[in-house]
Amino acid sequence: MIDFDPSTFGLAHTYQKEDKDEINTLSMPSAPQVIYRSLNGPTQTNGGNKLNNFKHGTTTLGFVFKEGILLAVDSRASMGSFLSSEQVRKVIEINEYLLGTMAGGAADCQYWLAYLANHCRTYELKNGSKLSVAAASKFLQGILIGYKNSGLSMGCMIAGTDLSGQHLYYIDNDGMRLKGDIFSVGSGSTYAYGVLDNHYRYDLSLDEAVELGVRAIYHATHRDTASGGVVRVYHIHQNGWTKVHDGIDVVDLHYKFAQQKGLVGDGDEAKQRLF
Amino acid sequence: MSGIFEYNGGSIVGMKGKNCIAMACDRRFGQQMSTITTNYQKVFKIQDNILLALSGLNSDIHTFYALMEKEINLYNLKENRKMKPTTFANLVASALYERRFGPFFVTPIVAGLENGKPILATYDSIGCKSDLDDFQVGGTGGNYIYGACEAFFKPDLSPEELEEVIGQSLVSGCDRDSLSGWGGVVYVLTEQKLTVKILKTKQT
Repeated sequence: MIDFDPSTFGLAHTYQKEDKDEINTLSMPSAPQVIYRSLNGPTQTNGGNKLNNFKHGTTTLGFVFKEGILLAVDSRASMGSFLSSEQVRKVIEINEYLLGTMAGGAADCQYWLAYLANHCRTYELKNGSKLSVAAASKFLQGILIGYKNSGLSMGCMIAGTDLSGQHLYYIDNDGMRLKGDIFSVGSGSTYAYGVLDNHYRYDLSLDEAVELGVRAIYHATHRDTASGGVVRVYHIHQNGWTKVHDGIDVVDLHYKFAQQKGLVGDGDEAKQRLF
Repeated sequence: MSGIFEYNGGSIVGMKGKNCIAMACDRRFGQQMSTITTNYQKVFKIQDNILLALSGLNSDIHTFYALMEKEINLYNLKENRKMKPTTFANLVASALYERRFGPFFVTPIVAGLENGKPILATYDSIGCKSDLDDFQVGGTGGNYIYGACEAFFKPDLSPEELEEVIGQSLVSGCDRDSLSGWGGVVYVLTEQKLTVKILKTKQT
């Protein structure tokens, strides 16, 4: 009799199976257990000073428009004031129809979005249809509520396409889950919102939307010290997602936009005396 | 990021060359993670042959510079002669120690030419003078600039080479510090002239 035990399905066994041969291909390392729950409120990440909480040092944004959803992110990682990297990938490709953005703790975002990816694939195999964006984001929210107050730091957007269209959700470590049309997350979000709110319309064309996303991220990187590097842009449409820009250097953008206005861009437009 | 010296951010560097000195600074004025302007002056010409660079709390940069400007003006009027760079270097140390128990939150670098000989001195915030090295750094990006300086610096560089070396060191260092940058200015002082050049850097 052929053994249809799912844990050994596909493995050729021509010898007596012993316990040590068991390879449980469907199991994952088990999710971290919370050992200590603070009685005094949320465990502070970074000494409790929210203003200097560099783990949220980033700018990510996403908005819904007539052609789908546009996601734009920066690529800077900082440890305090030290720039550890200018090339980080803050959009995590969960699967071909779902994207997640990273803000807050990089490890937390990477781990839990990969966990979500595993869950989506398992669901797809067991049920024969893809998990909806609403359900995927709700699953993640459920996990994060379970770890509430334990010090996780995540402010991510889940964006994707399913049978009912393209949807954008904001999920954070407090267990908040919000469906919306425009979100910006991270320390540079205030600057990005200013640009985004000024020019957003639902009936933007794809090119206009990409231009808006890029501009908003650029302005945030200029003013916010914790954002910078390159701009990465993704577009979600009914057939999945496409990477529109893999990395436009914000330094080049700065001088390009300055030139468009007829300025030099060295910050010294007032031409003050220097000695 | 917490700390009074990191509140405004900024970096300065000074170098000695062959009968010349160079100073460079970034141009950012910020408040913690937010950048306010990109044209803040941190290197001041105290006298034709003395430059003073200041980093630290911007309020104290301005106040300490005003204090030194007053001191040198009074000296010129009373003594009817120019102040020597070594004298000014000592004056800075005394002025800082005068505020030993309520210090100025600045780390100055003084650079000058005395009879053609380059002088470079750096201090901590309470006036400990150190004038032994050929290059000195200050500010939040200081440590990163040190690395670049060690790599690029050679003794007895000409003014043109010194300008190139100090500019590159400043830019490389500031690129790793999120609180410094947004432009750079290089000052090169020789017996004949003071050259001031604005660097095109990352504005992020």
